[in-house]
Parts: sequence; C-alpha cells; structure tokens
Amino acid sequence: MIKITDLQKYYRTEEVETVALNNVSLEVKEGEFVAIMGPSGCGKSTLLNILGLLDDPDEGSYLFNDIEVAKFNERKRSDLRKHNIGFVFQSFNLIDELTVYENVELPLIYTKVSATERKKRVEEVLEKMQIMHRRNHFPQQLSGGQQQRVAVARAVVNNPKLILADEPTGNLDSSNGNEVMQLLTELNEAGTTIVMVTHSEHDSRYTHRIIRMLDGQTVTENILV
Amino acid sequence: MYYTTAESRRLQLKATTMIKNYFKIAWRNLVKDKVFSVINVLGLTIGITVCMMIFLFIRNEFSVDNFHTQGKNIYRVMRAFDRDGKQSSVAYLSGPYAPALLNDFKGQVKKAVRVSQDDNLVTIGNNSFHEKKVLSVDPDFFDLFTFPLITGSASNALQNPNSVVLTETTAKRYFGRIDNAMGKTITVDKNLQLKVTGIAKDVPSNSHLEFDLIVPLSNYKDRSTMTTWINNGMYTYILLSPNTTQAQVEKQLPAFIQKYMGGDIKKYGFKFSLSLTPLKDVYFENAAFDSVKHGNKTVVYIFLSIAVLILLIACINFMNLSTIRAAERSKEVGLRKVLGALRNNLIFQFLGESVLLTAISCVLSVCLFLLAMPWYNQLLGYSLTVSGNALPIYLFLVGVIVVVGILTGSYPAFFLSAFSPVQALKGKLRLGKGGSLFREIFVVVQFSISVFLIVGTIIITKQMSYIKNKQLGYNKEQTVIVPIDNNDIYNKMDAFKTGLQNQSIVQSVSLMSGEPGGFFDGHTFDVEGHPEKWNSRTEFADFEYVKTLGLKIIAGRDFSAQFPTDTTESVLINKTAATKLGWTPEKAIGKWIQNTVRDSTKRRIIGVVNDFNFLSLKEDMDALVIAPNMDRRVALIKLKPGNIDAGVAAIKHEYTQVVSGYPFECKFLDQQFDRMYQKDVRQQTIISVFAGLAIFVACLGLFGLASFTATKRIKEIGVRKVLGSSVQGIVVLLSKDLLKPVLIATCIALPFGYYAMDKWLQNFAYRTSLPAWVFLLAIVITFLIALITIGLKAVKAALDNPVKSLRTE
Repeated sequence: MIKITDLQKYYRTEEVETVALNNVSLEVKEGEFVAIMGPSGCGKSTLLNILGLLDDPDEGSYLFNDIEVAKFNERKRSDLRKHNIGFVFQSFNLIDELTVYENVELPLIYTKVSATERKKRVEEVLEKMQIMHRRNHFPQQLSGGQQQRVAVARAVVNNPKLILADEPTGNLDSSNGNEVMQLLTELNEAGTTIVMVTHSEHDSRYTHRIIRMLDGQTVTENILV
Repeated sequence: MYYTTAESRRLQLKATTMIKNYFKIAWRNLVKDKVFSVINVLGLTIGITVCMMIFLFIRNEFSVDNFHTQGKNIYRVMRAFDRDGKQSSVAYLSGPYAPALLNDFKGQVKKAVRVSQDDNLVTIGNNSFHEKKVLSVDPDFFDLFTFPLITGSASNALQNPNSVVLTETTAKRYFGRIDNAMGKTITVDKNLQLKVTGIAKDVPSNSHLEFDLIVPLSNYKDRSTMTTWINNGMYTYILLSPNTTQAQVEKQLPAFIQKYMGGDIKKYGFKFSLSLTPLKDVYFENAAFDSVKHGNKTVVYIFLSIAVLILLIACINFMNLSTIRAAERSKEVGLRKVLGALRNNLIFQFLGESVLLTAISCVLSVCLFLLAMPWYNQLLGYSLTVSGNALPIYLFLVGVIVVVGILTGSYPAFFLSAFSPVQALKGKLRLGKGGSLFREIFVVVQFSISVFLIVGTIIITKQMSYIKNKQLGYNKEQTVIVPIDNNDIYNKMDAFKTGLQNQSIVQSVSLMSGEPGGFFDGHTFDVEGHPEKWNSRTEFADFEYVKTLGLKIIAGRDFSAQFPTDTTESVLINKTAATKLGWTPEKAIGKWIQNTVRDSTKRRIIGVVNDFNFLSLKEDMDALVIAPNMDRRVALIKLKPGNIDAGVAAIKHEYTQVVSGYPFECKFLDQQFDRMYQKDVRQQTIISVFAGLAIFVACLGLFGLASFTATKRIKEIGVRKVLGSSVQGIVVLLSKDLLKPVLIATCIALPFGYYAMDKWLQNFAYRTSLPAWVFLLAIVITFLIALITIGLKAVKAALDNPVKSLRTE
C-alpha cells in the first residue's frame, strides 16, 4: 500500500539546515499494523506527516497504492487524503466549537456525503465507539479517553484505507490508553492499515511490526507477528 | 462541465451544509470570546452609524435644489462689485432687471422670475400671524420652480394679483384643514385682501428658498425697488432655453449693464458687473450677500473626512482583532485541512465570518441610527428624513457589508489559509514579524487620527469660546432689538422712541438701519483729497447711536442735538475708515465726504469712533460711515441694569401704543450675537461628538490588542514572576511596547493637526492662538486614555497566579 524510497526532508533556517529524514525507505502492506518508534526528534512525526500528505518530502519517492504522490499539488493531496486516510493525534485535535456529533460529521461534509447518509454513518460510528450518549457535548465536557474515542470515530467515519496515529495514547492514562489501542486493533482486524508513532513499548506490542528510527534514519525492524 | 440533476442537487446540498457549518462555527466563536466580539462589533457599529449619519447629512447638502425639473437651465442673476480690490457678490437686484432681460435676450432667456423675501402680518378673521417666510414673486414662479401644488394650477394660481398660495402647514394653521382653505380670503398687512388659489406642498429642507406663503409681486409694483434700477431688493431667477449656455449670456451682460445702468454708474461711481450662478450652486455660494439658506462645503468635507476616518479606525480594529483571533484558531485551520478542506474553502469561511460580523454590525447600526436620529436632527437644526433616502442607505449598507466584510476578512483569510496543516496543527500560528509590524502600523494610524481629532476638537472649542468672550467694542448686554418691519411702527417710530425715552427703566434708544451683526449696506463715496470713488459700509442712525451701543469716540465728538445741522451736514466714521483713507483719527476731523446716492451735499466728519465688530468675527474689520440719513430698520433699546422682564414689558407697552394688529416681537442683542455663531457651535458639537466616538473606537482596538498581548505573553509573565518580577515591573513591561505606537502616532499627528487647524482658523478674521499647551493637552489626553486602556489589561495579567499561566504550556 505504501512504498517510500530514499525519502529526504530538511528543515532550513537562515543559519542551519537540519536533516529530519535521511534516505528513509520503507514499505507498508495493506492490512498491516505498524509502529514507528524512536527518541524525540528522530523524525517519526515528520515521516508520519509525509505519509499522511500533510507535508511533502524534499527528495525521494512515495508510492501510495502504486501511484507516485510525492509531487502531488494541494488539491490532489487533499483529495487523496480525505478519501483514504484517517488521522488520530496525541492531543485529539477536536474543534472546540463543534459538538461530538459535528466533529465526527466534518470529514463527511468535505467528502460531499449526503445528509441522510452522514447521519447514518456518524451514528453508527458513535455507537461503535460507545460515545453516542455524548453526541451533543462539546469536547471540553469530555474526559481525555472520551475525546480520543471521538477523534478515532472521526478518523474512521469515512472508512479510510489507512489510519495514521501520532502517539494516540500519549495524553491518556493506562486504562483509557488500553481502550484506544483495543479500538485500533479492532479496526486493523477489520482490514484497515494502521501506522502509529509511539514512545510506548506497551502500545507497540499491539502492532505487527516495529520500525525504529534514530537521527532521521530507520535503524531496525522487529517483526512481532 | 455538465452535471446531472442528482449531482447538481448533491453539490447544492453540500454547499448549504458547508455554509451552515461555517455559520455555526462563526456564531460559537462570537459567543465564546465575548470581549473580542463586543469590541469588534461595537466598534464597527459605531463606525457605520456615524457614517450613515454623515452620509445623510452630505446627501442632503448635495441634494439641495436638485428637485427642480428645469434646474439645470435655471440661474440666479448676481451682481458683483469691487470693494477694496476684492470682488463682493450680491444677489439683490431691482425690479426692472427681469423684464429687461426678457426683452434683450429673446430666445435665450425663456423666463425671468423675481423673488422678494418679505415679512408680513396676515389676518384671518380675528387671528393675526406675523409671517416671516413670505415670498412675493412673479406669476411664473410655479412654472419655473418645481414646488408641487396639492390643489390649484401652477400656471394660473398667481395670475391674479389678489391671489395667494399657502403651504400645506400654513393652510392647516389658518383654516384647520387643507380643503377648507381654497377660495378663502386672507388680509396681508391689514389692507391687502388675497384669495387662496393654491396649496403647495411644504418646502423640503433641501431647498435654498423657503416659504410659507406666496404672494404676487404685482401687489408691490409701486415700491421703489420695483421701479428704480439702483434700488435693489429682490432676487432674479432666469430660465435659459436649452440651447443657450451660461457663457453665451454672460458675454452679453456687460453691454446690458451699460445700456440700462450706464448713466447711474457714471453718476454714482459704481463699478459692477452681472453674472449667472447655476441654481445647483446657489446653496454653496457662501460668500454671496443674500438671505437664503446656505451650506458650507468645507463643513461637508470635514464631516466626510471624519466619517471616513472613523470607518477606517473601526475597520482597522476589525481586521486586527480578526487576525489575532483567527490565529488562535490555527488548530481548527490545520484540522480542516487535514480533513480535506482546500485553501479556498478556508478563505471562504473566514471571509464569510467577517461578512456575517459586518452584517450584524449593520443591523445594530440601523437600530442605533434610528435611536440617535432625533438628537442628530436637533443638533443639525433641521430634519433629515430617512424615507427619501432609504434606497441609498440600503445600498450603502450592502456596500459596507461587502467592502468592509471582505476587506477586513481578507487578511486573516489569505494569511491563515496559506499555512501548511502541519504548521497550523503545531499549535498557535505565529503571526510573524510582518504581522506584528502591520498591527503596530494600524495602531499608529488609528492613534494618529485620534490625536488629530483631539487637537481639532480642542482648537474648535477654544476658537468658539474666544469669539464668545471677545471684546467687541460695543456693549451687547441689556439691549433689546425691536424690528421696524411694518407700516404702523414705521410711521410712528418717533413716537415710539419718545415713549420709550420717557420710561425710567430705559437708558437710551436708538433707531438705525442695522444692529451689530445685522445689515450694513455698502455705498460709494466721494471723499476729500481722493479723486477715486471710495466704498464703505454704512450705518444710518439717529443721534443716540453711539450712546446706546456704548461706542468710544477717539477723536472729535458725537452727533448732538445742540448742533441741529448734524442731521444734514455731519458723519461719524470708524477708525478703520480713517486708516483706509490715510488719516489719523485726529486728521480725519473736518474732512468732507459725500454718499454718491444718498447725499446731495457734502458732509463733514465730526468724530471717529473706535473700531467695533459690527460684522461677524469671520469677516475682517471694515470701514464704516455712520450718517443720520433716513433708513430705520431696527430700534435698539438699552435698559438700565436690573429687571429685564420689567424692561421688556415696558417696551411692549410702548409698542402696542403705536402698533395695532402686529404682535410685539423682540430679541436681545447678545442672543443675536450668539445666533450668528449658532451654526458654528452646532458643528463644533457634532464634530466633538464624532471625534469622541473615533477616539473611543480606537481605544476599543487598543484594549483588544492589549488583551492579545497579555494572552500571548502569559508564559513570559509567569516565568518573570517566578524569577521575582514585581507587578509594577510586569505592567511597565506590557505597557511599554503598546505605548510605543501611540507615541509615534502623536509625533505624526501633531504637525498635521497644527497645519489643518491653522488653515481652519483662517476662516475667521479674529482667531485664537495655537499655543503649545493645546498640543501638550492632546498628548496627555491620548496617553492617559491609552494608558488606562492598556493598564486595565496589564494589571490583571500581572496579578494572575504565575502557576496558572505556566500551566497553559
């Protein structure tokens, strides 16, 4: 599903150039659950952003479902993203001014889904995430675990082929964290490919494969399954 | 591209859902951050309201006389003459001009209508009314001007000399109802019987001619102003045929003057010419001497500038605060991008929000505007109507929504939507150095405007108070003016005067052609030692003039009953007249002078009075010749100190002894003086109020900015406090940066303020100084306001628990 080859990414300021990714190559197959691990600043998040088409690489190739997307323009990237990729963030990133229901509905609005269909799908996913009773609450009225469940609901409501999770349990206590990991596992079992950045060895055990990074390079791969 | 029906419906649905979503977010954002919203909406609301008020005023000013359907071919004939090298222009002509123009310009001048402003006693049965807005006109009046008649025919209503046309309001006043009035008879000045032949709609406020009654001028065909070329007393309006230009006619006017006035010009030494003023320019022809309503273009431009400045300040606030607020919504921007929003979706969203906010402001402005209208009308001194202006106001509001909405929304829209989702999601968007420079420039602009307006307000107030308190050279207290404006009082004025002089409460009485601030006709003189004719203002008055006004004789003596020949052989002049003639006051005594029109023999100058401000303080001191020739238009009665009411009662008693039928009316000389500047005082009040509002709106913006700075630096404040900074230290820290642009603004605005106000003061012949303290005061006021505004926020930020502020990281 994902194949990147010799990916490079630099950050430049007036005085210094920092290499964020240095000749990274990796492949993720459809249905895989992959963890990316490594110390702070090793380039995990940069890699995830590039995988999610939120950022573009300076060099190298990125094949998404055998299509070269590294040089896509904004419109094409946005189009590919909204139909194929769901995001889960450490800090949930829910819109404070929208209710639970409206937050989950938002991706469907951008993918031009009809109102009746939207209602059906949002309710379905809220049921599945066991957050239906909170549908009219605003994010600040929820606990961290509940907020992340809403974020996961929002990520999956469009039935994406790929979910990118950036430390999804980082802001949660262990029991809420386990719940979220359980949810992701279930989604993976249902066929969704997941790439997750994490610091937690515990969380990484839920995945099939761990890619370890250091100083912008992939150093080892552990196959767990 | 073709869409199937289903597809286009789907697209439509999508658009509505999206817009609904935007509205929801916009509304919730508005409610969430109440302080910001109030500042934003309130500022813009005030800005728009002031603009609407000024817009109405300006529209009214520029619409004066626009309603005449033949307006573009109507001209007023003006007479211009040289006075000390300056051209003065007078609207008064005598009766013979109109028929002569019609005769000499056949085919070019289609109509010529004379209009005389009169003031008559109107009697209906037992009721008498002293009507001050009477026009005596030629029968073509209603054919020339578009003053619609409700009943009666425009072409016939004035054909018969014994007819009269009333306005709606006058008809109701006389007869209760309009339909009662037609055919009824009214009596004018106790002897002229006129039948009502038409009812005209009330004259709109945007007409330079005002009237309550229209009387055929033919009733006064024997007046000297109707028969003698040099006795000017009425306006002449002409209608040119469509293919005749103003220039064509004006070219032939010198020959016309020579033909009819050549003899008089030679005999009396006049120097004058005729010209035409297009009807639409009459209203703004301020310098012209006449008694019709005039506007002042300078004031219109001042108002216009204020409107633009206030709207500019409000827009700057709006843009500034929207940008700041939008930056705090970076997470939302990032997220929307992650979820598939394109850049134009976001641009559209932000623009939509600012348009929505502008629309809310517009709605509130309309409410505020309607509430403020009565006050505004009172201040202006006439009624502005919204009804006739509804469409332009709507257009204006729509314009404001579109232009201000888009203009103010565009910076945040284009700026924020350009960020990559990763940048946006990383937290607060950095507004960047450029942005902060922009904001500082905005504050500089706002405060420059405010400082400028503060300086303006102080100086206008200072000038008005200077005028009010200026030593005028005559005594205006305890002095009553009674107009000699009807035949009864005119015929018995001497008896009236003697009666008053016998009253113990009266100090002195003088009958004259014009009270200070009133009418001072210009005349031409032959003067000893001066081969050229000489022009001067004139006062025709009795022997008590100097005493009654408390003037000071600086050389020679006053008129005196001990010298009976004074009446025919003597004049007084003022100091300026002596100077202009090249004499010291002492040298002037004994020189001869002769009014080319009024005197058949030479008169001797027996005294020189010190200069006194007989004209408005807007005009320079002019030469004045005071002569006892007959021309009495007002009686000035100086009362002894004490009971004014008893004094007025005594005057009234004497008046009713000689006058029957005419109601007694009087004014006080000091009030008359105030009335002269009433318009200026009104304008000063309006400008001060608007300037105050501008400053208020600018402060709202500064407060918003202070809040933003405090929020942005909350972590810094926390760290500094942990490290031991005091509350004062933090307040100073926060205030310093915010006051910098205010300081720059002050430096920019002061020279501008000085220049503009110096220019404005040139309008006045007598002007107050522009001392340094005025500018210092403006600086102090500005800084005080800015400091209070910023201080409110800074102190709060400094007092907060540092732990709280550090936790926000």
